[in-house]
Amino acid sequence: MLTLYFLESDSGFVHGTQSIVLRVVAPLQNGTARATKPFRDAWNWAGDLFSAKSENAKLRKELEQLRAGVAKELTTQDENLQMRDLLAMQRDRVYPDGVRLVTARVVARSTTAWYSTVTIDAGSSSGVVVYDAVVNGAGLVGRVTKADAHASQVTLITDQSSYVDAMVMPGGAQGIVSGSVTGDVTLQYVDKNERVKVGQYVVTSGRQGSVFVHGIPIGQIESVGSQEVELYQSISLDPFVDFRKLDLVQVVVR
Amino acid sequence: MRPARIQADKQQGAWPSGGEIARLVVTLVVATLLQTTVAPNIRILGANPDFALIIVVCVGLLKGSEIGAVFGFAAGTLVAIALMEPLGLSAFVFVLIGYFAGRYAETADLSAGYAPLVSAFAATLLANVLLAMAQYLLARQVPLGFFLGRVLVPSLILNTLLAAPLYLVVRLWLRGAGDLRVARAR
Repeated sequence: MLTLYFLESDSGFVHGTQSIVLRVVAPLQNGTARATKPFRDAWNWAGDLFSAKSENAKLRKELEQLRAGVAKELTTQDENLQMRDLLAMQRDRVYPDGVRLVTARVVARSTTAWYSTVTIDAGSSSGVVVYDAVVNGAGLVGRVTKADAHASQVTLITDQSSYVDAMVMPGGAQGIVSGSVTGDVTLQYVDKNERVKVGQYVVTSGRQGSVFVHGIPIGQIESVGSQEVELYQSISLDPFVDFRKLDLVQVVVR
Repeated sequence: MRPARIQADKQQGAWPSGGEIARLVVTLVVATLLQTTVAPNIRILGANPDFALIIVVCVGLLKGSEIGAVFGFAAGTLVAIALMEPLGLSAFVFVLIGYFAGRYAETADLSAGYAPLVSAFAATLLANVLLAMAQYLLARQVPLGFFLGRVLVPSLILNTLLAAPLYLVVRLWLRGAGDLRVARAR
């Protein structure tokens, strides 16, 4: 079956069977996801409570660091400028003509460590096609990698097979945001001569040929490293999206 | 011959009744829904519980190798469909797990009280190693340290801990037919 699956086309027998069964299973998953949402929320609340104590200590430490940083007026001004740029960019974000947003709910997600994918309850019947970008209120979630009639598979930007054209704001340094098996997100192929700082924001570049429109927030730069022998900088990102709590998302349909 | 083996031998070749099949189908659907909608939201010890795998183990232990293998195939296929993952990989892994759990129930000389825990431990080990090998063959990253520290060990602990309560629930639902413990009591 595995061999058939990889050998045949998307309209083949195994794919067709998968599609038919999925039409039956998807509504059940949707119902279960809705029914268990209060329990999930309670679980998340309990988890947040447990982590609150350690987070409190961490936040206090960060606060001390921030207080020390207040004296550095230039740094503060720079951060302020970055925030304003991002806000302005978000306000002014305009999707190209013909683009519309399809709202969908996450009904299932992979539990294996090897795949970072979720299933949403919107598919080709809503106009969703493969390569469409998926966002939520915080930023870029991923892209559609399979689209059935009433359900789609979304590969998250944390997946090791995910690559996104991106740029650093402000400054415009270009690179590729990629996921990894560990769930860490990095910005790759940024030239060593580009000035990139911790705290700057990374958004989709929307370059010609990119599957993503310009200006979708991805994350904030967490660390920047550079070695003499390397051509590119080593940059790690903190994504804006909390991938553990995905619920409602929007598919950017072009 | 041990009672468990006698009971298991009696069951060999016997096709389940309509009622039993209905209960197995319900178990299958519940396992799939638990695995795809509930498990991803539960994270303990850094791992997500693998409800489908544990339930396949339970069915194998309770119903024998043949039904265990068929149930494993169906569970693996349904989970792959629900997650829109490549068909066949989970089915292959779960067939082996269902079959070997059944064979263990039919032939083991170990104490039946530990059977679910030992089986879940071994099944988790087998499933994770096979899935990691498949990832390697598909040219995806498989860092050994990540696999051992953040995938295998947490999953082994979590699935083994969950095996006992899930086994009790599945045994109750399937009415204990072919159960090792019931067989031992006779």
